[in-house]
Amino acid sequence: MAPIIELQNVSRFFGKNKEEVTAVDDISLAIEHGEIVCLVGESGCGKSTTGRMVVDLLKPSQGKLLYRGQDVRQMSRSDYTAYRRAVQIIHQDPYASLNPTQTVRQMITVPLLRHKKATSNADAERRAAELLEIVDLTPVSDFLNKYPHQLSGGQRQRVSVARALTVEPKFIVADEAVSMVDVSIRVSLLNMLSRLKSEFDVTFLFITHDLALAKYFSWEGGRITVMYLGRIVEEGPTSRVIADPRHPYTQALLAAVPEADPELAHKKRHMELRSAEIPSLLALPNGCTFHPRCPYFVPGECDVNVPRLERIPEGGSVACPVRKSETIELLAA
Amino acid sequence: MTVNTQINWKHDTSRTAEIPLTLRNVYINYHTRKGNVQAVRGIDLDLYSGESLALIGESGSGKTTLGLGVVRLLADTASVEPGEIIYRRNGEEVDVLGLKSGPLREFRWRDCAMVFQSALNAFNPVLKIWDQVLDTAKAHNWNDRKAVRARFLDLLRFVQLDPDRVIDSYPHELSGGMRQRTLLAISLLLDPQILILDEPTTALDILTQRTIIDLLRKLKEEQHFTMIFISHDLAIAAELADRVATMYAGQIVELGPVRNIFYKPRHPYTLGLIRAVPTVTGGFEALSSIPGSPPDLINLPTGCKFHPRCPYATERCEKEEPGLVKVGDKHEAACWHTDAVEADIAANGLRLRKK
Repeated sequence: MAPIIELQNVSRFFGKNKEEVTAVDDISLAIEHGEIVCLVGESGCGKSTTGRMVVDLLKPSQGKLLYRGQDVRQMSRSDYTAYRRAVQIIHQDPYASLNPTQTVRQMITVPLLRHKKATSNADAERRAAELLEIVDLTPVSDFLNKYPHQLSGGQRQRVSVARALTVEPKFIVADEAVSMVDVSIRVSLLNMLSRLKSEFDVTFLFITHDLALAKYFSWEGGRITVMYLGRIVEEGPTSRVIADPRHPYTQALLAAVPEADPELAHKKRHMELRSAEIPSLLALPNGCTFHPRCPYFVPGECDVNVPRLERIPEGGSVACPVRKSETIELLAA
Repeated sequence: MTVNTQINWKHDTSRTAEIPLTLRNVYINYHTRKGNVQAVRGIDLDLYSGESLALIGESGSGKTTLGLGVVRLLADTASVEPGEIIYRRNGEEVDVLGLKSGPLREFRWRDCAMVFQSALNAFNPVLKIWDQVLDTAKAHNWNDRKAVRARFLDLLRFVQLDPDRVIDSYPHELSGGMRQRTLLAISLLLDPQILILDEPTTALDILTQRTIIDLLRKLKEEQHFTMIFISHDLAIAAELADRVATMYAGQIVELGPVRNIFYKPRHPYTLGLIRAVPTVTGGFEALSSIPGSPPDLINLPTGCKFHPRCPYATERCEKEEPGLVKVGDKHEAACWHTDAVEADIAANGLRLRKK
């Protein structure tokens, strides 16, 4: 069967002429039905732009987006509607993504009626209650009449999820969906999202800058895709990418992540980069865009050739011909 | 990337005190139309010279309010009552809450500097960095432009920035990480005895966070700065702190050496936080979250403020509020059921194993 979502050589530019920025540069990504794919990278790497293209909130400047093997641009009107319904997004900021003048009841029942997922007001009401239960906003009667300002960040994010679920999506893009929520509540949100995967057969594109969250969310059978300045530099099964990263950028990230464990924090080996600053998207370096910072920089190779993603036997692929076979120790003995 | 720079830290040993800062029974309330927000409730704390103390807790736990209270930068709607904040230098004691204009200004940057959470908002957007630095120096009667400039250039090198580029820039021309480092450099300008850092790495990218953490570690290990870190991020505490104070609903509920807090926590909230935070390196760990949400600070629960979310809560917890008691060497926790926490860790491990 065709992947549920596929990006083929997609690029996205913003601005014009001299001011043009390449936010996403020729990436290809196929997500199979039932998978969890985590897209990780630092700010400006193009991960949110990619997520927004997947739900067609942004159109690719080049390349194609396929839904179940069909080009979204070539679809019939009814197929396109079905695609837009099946693919939903949960935004990062629960303070900005909910309409402050609507109650939770309105936010959930209106789309139910609009998309004919409920036959009457009473039916919509019943369905809304079910959805709020799924996202653990119980007792439901406490929440139906609340406005967003009466809810905490975690509760708002649950409302966003319930709202996305009204149209029975098959694919959810979660764009930093838990990063603005307090640590003590984060895990229960993540567990709730995981449950959607098993109970409602939802496929996830989970966008985050937090490698620990990506690891936790996708450990069982998921994949991690690492982006840097608009390109995918490494991807593979989560356990492999976390334990045996191959691209120098992935290695630098994993080595740099602060750990919530004093012993681990002191044992970790840090990688010295050649430069601390991220290059401007307006003036991207030639060749591998990581070369000005990379400690393994090979003159004449890295600053000339754009590396292609190449498969490695351990799983996944790496865009670094120089280091793709080298394993490093992240912890000092 | 290691740049070795020589800076004359004017470490004047006569100025340092063994315990430069003491908080006694500090309460801070915000007066709002809905009622009194009890942001900080009864903090007792000694800060030792050369130590780095991390205040950790979730949003609304009172950690930032406490930091602002120490440097007397609270909003007009807030008041410290009752409470005592004592600062020590040259063998004399200063009552911080009693300070007025001139001496207060002196205290604020020369004795105790604060690096604010949002590095962009901490700068005046229409002034170049150098002008802001000069303003700071002048406000403290340091009018020797050349000397100020030389020292600031050294500090910029210390925080691994290109000094000539940064000094004549406007804040918007710098990236988030550069701004945070510039702010750190300005906070060090007058060589304060105490440095308070509010969420120093929040909202920065991972590689930038690492640069800041390494810098702060250098300040701590090489210059023995006395620092207070305020963060919701346990990782900052694990990376940098000697001592950790866990805050919940305006109180310190656990206080101890960093290893005790991370490996032998005795308060259910601290344990809950540890079990909720994933690590990257190493195998998979199951995580659990703390049920419920932080309390309403206007209408606080009775008894122990954590009891509605606590897995060990009993009837006693609803009625009586526990105070900090000794649970180990220099380690205190405010809980009636520290034994139950200990038994839980013994039975289930500190971090939960995979289901």
